[in-house]
Amino acid sequence: MKIELISFGKISEFINNQNIEVDGIADTDTFKQYLENQFPALKSMKYKLALNKNIVQENTEITNNAIIAIMPPFSGG
Amino acid sequence: MSAERYNRQIILKGFGEEAQQQLLRAKVLVIGAGGLGCPALQYLAAAGIGHIGLVDDDTISLSNLHRQILFTTADIGKLKVEVAAKRLQEMNTQIGIIRHPIRLQKNNILDILSRYDYILDGTDNFESRYLINDACALLNKPLIFAAVSGFEGQLAVFNTPDHLTPSTNYRDLFPIPPDKGEVANCAENGVLGVLPGILGTMAAAETIKLIAKIGQPLTNKILSYNLLTQEQYTIKISHGGGYTLPKTVDEFLNMDYQDTSEGPQGYAEIDASELVKLQQLESTILIDVRERHEVPILDKQIFTQVPMSEFGAFMSKEFYQKHVVLICQHGIRSVAAAEAMQEKYGDAKKIYSLKGGIVKWRDHFLKP
Repeated sequence: MKIELISFGKISEFINNQNIEVDGIADTDTFKQYLENQFPALKSMKYKLALNKNIVQENTEITNNAIIAIMPPFSGG
Repeated sequence: MSAERYNRQIILKGFGEEAQQQLLRAKVLVIGAGGLGCPALQYLAAAGIGHIGLVDDDTISLSNLHRQILFTTADIGKLKVEVAAKRLQEMNTQIGIIRHPIRLQKNNILDILSRYDYILDGTDNFESRYLINDACALLNKPLIFAAVSGFEGQLAVFNTPDHLTPSTNYRDLFPIPPDKGEVANCAENGVLGVLPGILGTMAAAETIKLIAKIGQPLTNKILSYNLLTQEQYTIKISHGGGYTLPKTVDEFLNMDYQDTSEGPQGYAEIDASELVKLQQLESTILIDVRERHEVPILDKQIFTQVPMSEFGAFMSKEFYQKHVVLICQHGIRSVAAAEAMQEKYGDAKKIYSLKGGIVKWRDHFLKP
């Protein structure tokens, strides 16, 4: 399954925007675990996922060619 | 109202006299007269928002000027709200500008916010952002949120329902604030002046759109903006769980918003009154990190001299004091020293940097 990853802020310093090919990942909960295994720095950060431009609030099915964005909070002004 | 002043927007198709009247009747509070607040204030005042409140308790320093474009070099040391209010009033004499030279806290925020219809958050720390979010949710006030990090910005409109979704708030995105030290420390937190300029201007645009009821404001959406690529990415926000919003004033007053300015960086930036309190503790060491030739010379009985050029050597030795207050001329080098100390001692010592430095609190240091 193909997923397009988009990252913002500090997260983009260790996760580039990229297309990835993954198998056995059916939903956003599993994907979150996959991300945190691949990029352990995420584990200690606050972030939110968006699937196809919708904020993920509960476990959601991921289909082929999904776009997943990873967004941290900003506070600067 | 002088129609001529606003002629170019009144003649705009889809705007007109009625929209202009709505701007004139609106009461907008801008929190933070900084990198985001300055451009937002300029455009809101120029556009003819009838009542504009400004909240900021800070004074202008040299390192503000590259992005806080209401201020000039001659304004350094002056209160931001005073200088900003004067400039804005000169620019538009037909509107009311209300100064609030205070730091918003649990015990004063509800009173101030309740006097306005729209709240624009241009602050620079998570404590304020959660405080403002919760207060706006409690009072049911539309909140225009703008924030920057590195070369990127975020913009959103909270507490405003649209035809599809009931209103969402910041906690639907990030239910709880980041832990201390989790989000970038100050050394990494530089900003190109134009970035908050863009985000602050976009926040003003969202405010005007909400008031005049034009276009599609970012209601229940968050826009990410990247200055380096000029790319924007908009995400739809839905209601989430995992947080508790205070539903009554009592609940609000019982929330913990950490109203010292101890930020995510893990050390605290303090003012002179907090310095005086710390000074009275046995376990406090006051360290002047300026080089030995710098003036004014402080009382060496009270202030231990450890110039930045000797700081590494100092840190290799042990010292017993638990509270460490770092002081320099403008509060910039002392932040660097605080970061270095924080890195070495973590939670074992409480680290403070005097915000604004000796220049800002000159009266405190030079009093007999």
